[in-house]
Amino acid sequence: MHEYSLAHSLLEGLLEHLAAHPAEGRIVKVHVRQGELLTLSQEALREAWRILSEGTPVAGSELVIEKVPVKVRCPNCAYQGKVQYLAEEGWHYTIPVLSCPKCEGRVEVVEGKDLAITALSVEDQEPTPTENPPS
Amino acid sequence: MHEIRTGFGDILKRQLELAERNYEFLADRGVRAINVMGAIGSGKTALIIQMAQRLQGKGVRVGAIAGDVAGDDDYRRFQAAGLPSTVINTGDDCHLDAHRVGHALEEFPLSAVDVLFIENVGNLVCPADFPLGTDQDLVVISVTEGEDMVRKHPKMFAQTDVIAINKVDLAEIVGVDPQRIVEDYRKVNPHGRAVLTDAKSGRGVEELLSALGF
Repeated sequence: MHEYSLAHSLLEGLLEHLAAHPAEGRIVKVHVRQGELLTLSQEALREAWRILSEGTPVAGSELVIEKVPVKVRCPNCAYQGKVQYLAEEGWHYTIPVLSCPKCEGRVEVVEGKDLAITALSVEDQEPTPTENPPS
Repeated sequence: MHEIRTGFGDILKRQLELAERNYEFLADRGVRAINVMGAIGSGKTALIIQMAQRLQGKGVRVGAIAGDVAGDDDYRRFQAAGLPSTVINTGDDCHLDAHRVGHALEEFPLSAVDVLFIENVGNLVCPADFPLGTDQDLVVISVTEGEDMVRKHPKMFAQTDVIAINKVDLAEIVGVDPQRIVEDYRKVNPHGRAVLTDAKSGRGVEELLSALGF
């Protein structure tokens, strides 16, 4: 259950950012990228966000989580890119196989273990009615 | 509705930075560290003690850190085995993290050890997301946990290059074929090495040390 501490870190970073750069309007969506190697429950993360964001400027915002595929680098053949997946019946899960799809060598993971806020969706404010409309 | 690109940094980057700091701290002192992960009761502590005794026989000085949610039982086992050791109680956290380990390392008598085993909290899920700054990872599972451990925790195994399948002496009694676990592991990690062990008798411990490069 480390989703709460991760949600807390996301929120802390966002509130700091908003203190310096306030959004012009209500933030309705917070877009997050999640590396697919992270073992975290999106449902638990969204729930943690809902609870922790109460009473903050992003209360009621929806956490939109995008899973980002693993990218690797092969020190043997210099391949860079995505990996193959194991999707056998009975696993009920697609598992990135951390092996070079070209030469089957050992690889280094360059992407797929990160968690970051990428964008905010902000509701446009109604234009403020002017007090003395031109006649 | 409009969108604002935030370009925020990765929040796990801080963990990575702390892990790198630990790695350098250990490297500067000539200490090689191994993060030992695995479920509760898989035999992590017993295997560490077995490995430590064999390494000590070869003149390698070994220490251990016991990571647990609460209690000092594993720490007392390390102490009874004569290993320089300490305990990290995480309170309620289900995993060790680089920050906690960093503080433990500052207090640890690192000049008295060449190899440091860091026993993570018993958990096959969360520790995979938190690098500690160790040189190697080792996952310990036992046949009593069932034949399907790899299938149930594929990400942990996909990212770990050495695993011990412990308590093989009980395999027949519990009706588990350890080779099925090995086959599943090979599928998710074609480069990994799986070693069958029995920490009680010491079976497979030499092979496990060799898989870890000792």
